[in-house]
Amino acid sequence: MPRSALFVLVVLAVSGAVVSGVEAQEISERARRVHQRAIVVDTHIDVPASHSREAGYDVGQRHSQGHVDLPRMREGGLDAAFFSIFIPTTVTGPEAVKRSLELIDWTKRQVAMNSTAAVLATSAEDIRRAHKQGKLAILMGMEGGHMIDDSLSALRIYADLGVRYLTLTHSRKTNWAGSSGDSEDTGLTDFGREVVEELNRQGVMVDLSHVSDQTFYDAIATSKSPVILSHSSLRALCDHPRDITDEMLLAVKRNNGVVQITFVDSFISQELRTAEQAIAPERDAKIAELQKLYPEDEAKRREEGRRIRREYQAKLPKASWELIITHINHAVKVAGVDHVGLGSDFDGATMPEGMEDVTRLPKITDALLKKGYSEKDVEKILGGNLLRVLAEVERVGKEMRGAGRGK
Amino acid sequence: MKRLGWMALGAAVLLAAPATIGQSGDKPAVSERAKRLHTRALVVDTHSDTPQRMIYDNFDMGHRDADGHVDIPRLREGGLDAPFFSIWVSSTVTGPAAVKIALRQIDAVREQARKHPNDLMLATTVADIRKAHAQGKIAALMGMEGGHMIDDDLGLLRLYAALGVRYLTLTHFLNNNWADSSTDKPKHNGLTAFGKDVVRELNRLGVMVDISHVADKTFYDALEITKAPVIASHSSCRAICAHRRNMNDDMMRALAKNGGVMMINYEVSFLSEEYRKAVDQQDMTIIERQFEKECGKNMACQILMGNREARARMMDGRLPKVSWEKIIEHIDHAAKVAGVDHVGLGSDFDGATMPLGMDDASMMPRITQALLDKGYSEADIEKILGGNLLRVMERVEQASRMMQSESRGGGK
Repeated sequence: MPRSALFVLVVLAVSGAVVSGVEAQEISERARRVHQRAIVVDTHIDVPASHSREAGYDVGQRHSQGHVDLPRMREGGLDAAFFSIFIPTTVTGPEAVKRSLELIDWTKRQVAMNSTAAVLATSAEDIRRAHKQGKLAILMGMEGGHMIDDSLSALRIYADLGVRYLTLTHSRKTNWAGSSGDSEDTGLTDFGREVVEELNRQGVMVDLSHVSDQTFYDAIATSKSPVILSHSSLRALCDHPRDITDEMLLAVKRNNGVVQITFVDSFISQELRTAEQAIAPERDAKIAELQKLYPEDEAKRREEGRRIRREYQAKLPKASWELIITHINHAVKVAGVDHVGLGSDFDGATMPEGMEDVTRLPKITDALLKKGYSEKDVEKILGGNLLRVLAEVERVGKEMRGAGRGK
Repeated sequence: MKRLGWMALGAAVLLAAPATIGQSGDKPAVSERAKRLHTRALVVDTHSDTPQRMIYDNFDMGHRDADGHVDIPRLREGGLDAPFFSIWVSSTVTGPAAVKIALRQIDAVREQARKHPNDLMLATTVADIRKAHAQGKIAALMGMEGGHMIDDDLGLLRLYAALGVRYLTLTHFLNNNWADSSTDKPKHNGLTAFGKDVVRELNRLGVMVDISHVADKTFYDALEITKAPVIASHSSCRAICAHRRNMNDDMMRALAKNGGVMMINYEVSFLSEEYRKAVDQQDMTIIERQFEKECGKNMACQILMGNREARARMMDGRLPKVSWEKIIEHIDHAAKVAGVDHVGLGSDFDGATMPLGMDDASMMPRITQALLDKGYSEADIEKILGGNLLRVMERVEQASRMMQSESRGGGK
């Protein structure tokens, strides 16, 4: 573990504000300049799912919990954030549609409440304009095909409301696409191919994070536009089904798409992943036992479940933020610098040490420069590649529709 | 509910029934002057149920259809420049299921506009409507018929507005959780506290409050709360036909005072007292069940069958024949009671049984002719054909802008 990260940790325990000061010193002037100038894009942030049920929550305030809010985005130089519209896969049917709409409305209201600081963006052009005006761009991505409830109408409505990517599945398969979270690897059905085509037509990015390998290949063969993986890392470095193989990376390169490297600790650290797999059976058995121990007391079961998880979590090794750089570097070597970006999963996952929240993002710029990346290439990774893909997806959509989106 | 059900069916559409049953027939005789006036005027109709046909029968508006009342060729022929397509789900369907069907209809209307960019332009403002008219296109608007579709959620209301919905009828045939309907037993004594919030949010969003269908008390509650003029998107005059769905003279005067507009509905059981009474005495239960059986959940089919049956009964004498001229009678009464600034047209095409002689949207110019014949000035006729509605919509937009800038001034 790097000395600086350890130091950050110690200070973090005392005060978030002090940490920022310390961070500031770690980053070179040049990195600060590059980071400032670049349009930095993060394609996966779970602010709506983690905060929409908190009464009175305001994303415009600085919070001590969580990873992202507007003041911390500003500090971390994150210019464009895709907020994830996510409903658990256990919720299906019209209920999933309704709850998705509620999250969309919540997100729009949060932005409207902070209209001097942020703006809802739905295109690459919107993002560039916001950057020029010194405003933060908030976009929406939808994490899970189950939320369209097998309906292309619902999909188009989401597109009209501003959703700009659809992750074909979450961690369970849908009626038309396979998930990496299931043991059987089902691909895309005919309807699944229609979904991909409609996404192309609507100018909405096809997101292949979370999907099964077969679905990945089926979708990439179907799509007329470049695809993204909104938050996935690399299996060559950490053998997790949520990550992608080098062969898949090459397919993304051929498709002219982009892999947005995720920061999720157990997706980037093989050591952590292995240790987690080792303890999982024992931990899960203990949790299962709670049902027998406290058959009548759900609150107790939940409390004990949390205690057990914490207990096992404490035994696991920590992952360092520098693994993010290792993954970026590997992806660049395999697919080329035009096909890599950032998809943190802030507010939706455990972050590695040293990447405690969005204010730490400039460390990535600094590390890439130190590794010898050119400023131009760093700008691509920070957001340029994603903007290229988004603009191309819009262009193909317009061509397919033969007309505007309407209003 | 059965009689109500029949009414609902009646309230749905008919069409060009085969010539043997229904047609009053011939192309209306319209003078050059009436044609000129009708063409120049911006003609608005605030209620067409065509989305039912779009989602259940995959209906495309591009071709002239033998069924139904509305498609692009017939809108063109009838000089109907700005139809509001009704987003309607039966009030027996509630919760997320209602939301999902509503979204399908919104999507269907938007898809029609995308598919026919040379004929249709999705419009959400008066400026849009005028722009479409100037470009020789039909302005397609959306209204939502029934507050139950917001599923007690102002967030959904905001999203419907974002998708282009420009009026909300507070109820349909049944009460919802926050407003009483004219055709259900009173439950809330008008609007609940949340119902009043809905009206305020509609004002803030610039979406017109539509008081067709609501109970009289709901109407008065809404008038008290609203900061903008309201509309009755498809209601006629109770003084002529004593149906609960129609408005009495006091309500019409209250609406005029509010600056609003009532859009006359062409449904035969709302136009003719004689017809209304006759239908009341016929047991329609058996025939309704038969429609339900034959159509399943296809509402477009149920509407179509209901109208065929009603037209057939008019033609064979089981029900009184109702002429299109009844529409003029209602317009004239409303103009006398509420004033010529507060009357417009809300046909209920594709959702109601049309009177003989108003077989579909192509027959609209005959209304202009009839009003000229009755001695209405061209300026007044233009108001009735659409000017009044545009005025109300503009005022609703202004009120919204004011409320939104006020709320911004107070916060950040």
